[in-house]
Amino acid sequence: MPDNRLTQTEASLNPAVTQMVNIKIDGIELQVPKGENIIESAKRAGVDIPYFCYHPRLSKGDAANCRMCLVDVFAPRRAPDGTVSLAKMPKPQASCTLPADEGMVIVTDSEAVVRDRKGVLEFLLINHPLDCPICDRGGECPLQNNAIFYGAATSRYTEEKRHFPKAYPLAENVVFDRERCIHCARCTRFTEDISGDAQLGFLKRGADMEVGTFEHTAYKSKFSGNVIELCPVGALLSRSYRFKARPWDLHSQRSVCSKCSNGCNIKIDYRLDSLQRINGRINEAVNEEWTCDKGKFGHSYVSSEARLKTPMLKTGGEWKAIDWTEALQILVGKLRDANGSVAGIGGQRCTNEDNFAFQKLFREVLKSNDIDSRVEGYLGSVNKPLYERFGYHAMGNAIAELEDMKTILVLGSQLVDEQPIIYLRVRKAYRFKGATVINAVSSVPEDSPKVGDFAQLELVYKPGTEAALLKGILSVLSAEKLASVNGFAKGYTLEKAAEETGVSAEAIQQAARLMATGKLAIIAGREVANHANHLEVVQAIGDLAEATGNAQNINLPGEDVNSQGAADMGVLPDFAPGYAPLENPGKNTAQILQAAADGSLKVLWVAGAKLLEKFPNRELAQAAFASDTFIVVNELTMTETAQAADLVLPAASFAEKEGTFTNCERRVQRIHKAFDISLEIKPDWLIFSEVATRMGGGGGSFFSARDILKAISAQVPAYAGLTAKSLGDEGVRWNYPDK
Amino acid sequence: MAIRNLLFEHREVAGIEEMDVYEKLGGYEGLRRAVTLERQAVIDDVKTSGLRGRGGAGFPTWIKWNGIPKNTDKPHYLICNADEGEPGTYKDRELMLKTPHLLVEGMAIAGYACLGTAGYIYIRGEYVEPAWQIRKAIDQAYKKGYLGKNIMGIEGFNYDLYVHMGAGSYECGEESALMSSLMGERGNPRLKAPHAPLPVHEGVWKSPTLVNNVETYCAAAWILKNGGAEYAKLGTERSKGTKIISVSGHIAKPANYEVEMGTPLLDLLKAAGGVTGGKLKAVIPGGSSVPIMTADKLDKINLDYESCAASGTMLGSGGFMVFNDTTDIVLLMKRTSEFYMHESCGKCTPCREGTRWLFKILDRITSGGGREGDIELLLDICSQIDGRSYCGLGDAAAWPIVGAIKAFREEFEYWIEHKRSPIGDHAVPPTPVVVNPLLTLTPA
Amino acid sequence: MAESVTSNIREPQPAPAKEARFSELAIAELEEIASHYPERKAACLPGLWIAQREYDGYLPPAAIQEVADRLGLSYSEVEGVATFYTMYNLRKRGRHHLEVCTCLTCAVKGAYEVVHKLEKELGVHVGGTTSDGEFTLSEAECLDFCGAATVMQVGDKYFTQLTPDNVKQVIDELRKSPDYTPAKLADSIVKTLLPGASETGGGSYSVEDLKNPAGPML
Repeated sequence: MPDNRLTQTEASLNPAVTQMVNIKIDGIELQVPKGENIIESAKRAGVDIPYFCYHPRLSKGDAANCRMCLVDVFAPRRAPDGTVSLAKMPKPQASCTLPADEGMVIVTDSEAVVRDRKGVLEFLLINHPLDCPICDRGGECPLQNNAIFYGAATSRYTEEKRHFPKAYPLAENVVFDRERCIHCARCTRFTEDISGDAQLGFLKRGADMEVGTFEHTAYKSKFSGNVIELCPVGALLSRSYRFKARPWDLHSQRSVCSKCSNGCNIKIDYRLDSLQRINGRINEAVNEEWTCDKGKFGHSYVSSEARLKTPMLKTGGEWKAIDWTEALQILVGKLRDANGSVAGIGGQRCTNEDNFAFQKLFREVLKSNDIDSRVEGYLGSVNKPLYERFGYHAMGNAIAELEDMKTILVLGSQLVDEQPIIYLRVRKAYRFKGATVINAVSSVPEDSPKVGDFAQLELVYKPGTEAALLKGILSVLSAEKLASVNGFAKGYTLEKAAEETGVSAEAIQQAARLMATGKLAIIAGREVANHANHLEVVQAIGDLAEATGNAQNINLPGEDVNSQGAADMGVLPDFAPGYAPLENPGKNTAQILQAAADGSLKVLWVAGAKLLEKFPNRELAQAAFASDTFIVVNELTMTETAQAADLVLPAASFAEKEGTFTNCERRVQRIHKAFDISLEIKPDWLIFSEVATRMGGGGGSFFSARDILKAISAQVPAYAGLTAKSLGDEGVRWNYPDK
Repeated sequence: MAIRNLLFEHREVAGIEEMDVYEKLGGYEGLRRAVTLERQAVIDDVKTSGLRGRGGAGFPTWIKWNGIPKNTDKPHYLICNADEGEPGTYKDRELMLKTPHLLVEGMAIAGYACLGTAGYIYIRGEYVEPAWQIRKAIDQAYKKGYLGKNIMGIEGFNYDLYVHMGAGSYECGEESALMSSLMGERGNPRLKAPHAPLPVHEGVWKSPTLVNNVETYCAAAWILKNGGAEYAKLGTERSKGTKIISVSGHIAKPANYEVEMGTPLLDLLKAAGGVTGGKLKAVIPGGSSVPIMTADKLDKINLDYESCAASGTMLGSGGFMVFNDTTDIVLLMKRTSEFYMHESCGKCTPCREGTRWLFKILDRITSGGGREGDIELLLDICSQIDGRSYCGLGDAAAWPIVGAIKAFREEFEYWIEHKRSPIGDHAVPPTPVVVNPLLTLTPA
Repeated sequence: MAESVTSNIREPQPAPAKEARFSELAIAELEEIASHYPERKAACLPGLWIAQREYDGYLPPAAIQEVADRLGLSYSEVEGVATFYTMYNLRKRGRHHLEVCTCLTCAVKGAYEVVHKLEKELGVHVGGTTSDGEFTLSEAECLDFCGAATVMQVGDKYFTQLTPDNVKQVIDELRKSPDYTPAKLADSIVKTLLPGASETGGGSYSVEDLKNPAGPML
């Protein structure tokens, strides 16, 4: 694997320093960390310095090119006789890369600076088309804003402007208006620094320089949407949002992305009752400010025509729209008749509140423990793989902690697809913090970006041989006395591992040596989660982590938005909320489906789980759906699973309800209701609660999502004390009690 | 003061590019002497010589050498800037072509003094012939043990010298852009102090890096052979030694002349045979980037850094261009601005947009489309570029135009008013028709 | 200057087909050159020179891809480099690429007249290639041999002191000469990068040429 890629651009973000220096900005004296970029210091002082190319998360090396942030600088100069005097630097300096130093005096409001800004804006606008009235960026465009505040009223440019075709389809979701580009290098730096594919680059030079992909091929990235937000002009635009709205017509609601378990903080921008676009929202602990394309462009379903807007009943093979009263009547009747022969599957895509109400309804009202949120992968006791040995369930590390690792092993994962935001952290650890990344995987896709692009070592093993690989590594650690292996690698030799896995012995040796150098995090993906011998593989991962002294750094993140929360809320056959063991464990998903297929189950309630689409044993799922079991499904649209059900209830999407999600690193985060698509659509918790009420209440009736959160914090120790207020905008990560 | 051939001492000697001839004439004695000295003593000798960078900026050479860390925690890289690109300058070409061993020796001495790990001679791609001479010299020096492992029997003095060829970019003559290019990137300039560490601390590959011009290294070889004090005897108080001036244009004997610093400009003009084809009109003394000087001011200029600066121009890289009275200055400036437009790397706004705007205005004026106010506009654009660009290329694009307007404003005014050349229509060459243009200046 | 061959494309293009045209020798050269630097990326410019030789004097997309693949760089990165430097040919040139310097000194010494004479002589405009594929005519920025104005570079050779009167002679000479092709230029450049290359005499490079550079300096 290339270990030489992209290392030369100045990559240091502001280094962590403790030394403070005194500087003065426009007469305001302040203390700032030594070496901080002056543009950031100015922000502290409340002084506005305009900029285009500067971005705190992108490397400095290619910044300072727009020249918008020029300021006058006076620096102390020591004369030979020891006296110190202030000397003006002969040229104005770009404040976005100028490190703060003791005694520096910055002037941003001099006549010269005002003139410089006018000059730069004049230059930028000589080729920038003035089509703001029809530009999507108009109204939220840094160039427009800076031109208003700092530019001249007129241009003296009378020559011909540069012209290119409009709206070049750069990527599947991104169009590129080359005329508007101001060459700030934000997008090119993004692909190099953040996503790591370096697909966008500058081509040609001088006045002819343009952003482009290799030979005008399509820009294929999992993170292409970010360049739209990064672009300080309307050059990179969202294809789906193009000409859809003016920014000032949009309302914005804080939310959390529902596409995977990483829990990216997002803003839902909507107009009336329709979602227009998703933008990233800053949360330093989770997504910083990035989104993946799945999250940014994958939510069009929310406002789509396909949304279910009324309950649907299947009679004689035909679907019929019915009203809620009738639907609940039928459902309650079926549940009563079932007399406890009821089961529930799902909840990984629902909020914690939905899940809590789900299990309350089943355990306390319907008196059944047959509920499970898991649809694929390991279906045994959740405590078995990790908790019993190490005291935690899915992820030992917080996402942000991954930055501080010396070595990161990505095992059996197409990380960029499965955990896009974790991928970005791994990439950041590599790019900006010098971490070494090892990628062990059974197949390597062609497309970039992927971990293999920057991994120091890539081990491609035969499918299913993860445990052998890990044992081989352990045997090397043992043989070379790199770690105390405690007999974990018993009976294993390097040669055997190499033969079984198809990975060369040298590569395994190299990997072992890299892993023994310090803090090591192991991130295991889908191949491990769905492994036939899941426990054996996790055992081996545990052995490796323990041997290298990294027992707390194992990560087996779930994949669905709330797979963590559903388990926390006890939507498991053997645990009540908070992983309290049950005396009489119920059936897991496979067993429930088996029971349905056998005809021994009366009612199956599927809460948003895509059983027919995702359950590995499709035949069993089909048999269950073909049986006499009455199947009710909460869904947004008529999925394959919904089609096969008897009753479908229209459920609210994440944009239409309040609640909380718990992401893969156990961060509990709030989502907010943005709009109603239809008043006939209900959040899942309300459906469960209304059924519970009709069945006699018990503990299953709730008034609001907040009401449920209160109940959760009372019952679940890890969630104790969590309130809507304490969760705030950035959420709270719950931790296991110290052991 | 006049012609003093130090570096050019042997340029007429047949076979001087070969090791045996070079050695016979005292070659590599500088290196031999250097390695008998402490490393610091070598640097001190350069300090004594008063040598200043010959690439254009005139920065004291010893300060750079002394700035390289005295330890080898990181490898040290030495770069020779042989990306000679300044219009009017062709001294490095001749130095490399005729006396390649002088450069190799100079770089070996610097390698010794600065604990160099490896040296790279970055030669512009067009200079195939000079590069080939350097190749030969390096190969011969390896054979003789002046390069490689344990050089001259000194344990641990390991130093490799490589040739790196550019591929056509003026910008790469800029120190930091050259480093980008050496590392395999586009020739974009890099952040400089105070925004980033100095190259002597973090240059290429984040390691201490010394960058000097060909002539500087060659001078260092001479200095180490003859002693810094000997070099310092020549020149003025602050500009020591000699400078190679490339004379071109309307001149009887265009060639490289090595003159003592402080030589009156007119003396050089005389030595080069005087102006041809008409009366002397103007001189650009230091390459296309420096302001043009009218004939009447030339008697006050001496060829050293201070005197040139005092007269409002610069010694620069020594590209001495002579123009007679058939030269249309406005056309000359149009061509100059075209050059900078082509060579701007495009990284920063003022240079990318400004150089093209300057060219477009000058092109319009010289096509008969001049308008009132164009001169003020040109000056204003220049002031918006000068000092505001990322690297010196923007400045270099602005200075000559400002200088030309200052010196020959009436010619600009004539063009604008009369829509034709003040010299006469014969001075205007028909513009070539260009298919497949190198730069898109017209709408798509 | 980089050429504007692709600016007006309106739809994303399919990925170009990959080729592996580097000969064994070329790969060895690339590896040798890469070993001169602490990072392989630094061999990007030399790699493109090798590619320009191996791909017959210019850099089609496949050449860029091959260099990127061999050095572990992204394609757009290498294309960015290839389009930055003017000596990398993005399109096929004539057998002789005539690059006439029209920068300051050459311009005042009559370079444009030389260009016009060449245009007439060859029947093409600047940027064009003759129909027989023999010559491509270009203007060049300063070739830095101003003392010998007007200068023209053809392959690895400078022709100096050109005037409208003597270009015809140069053209006639070039028609007979096999030596100054773009691929030969790339080859000569690659050879200067290789330690010890001088001992082989640099292949067909004539030492005579080196000893007698044209111009007024001698």
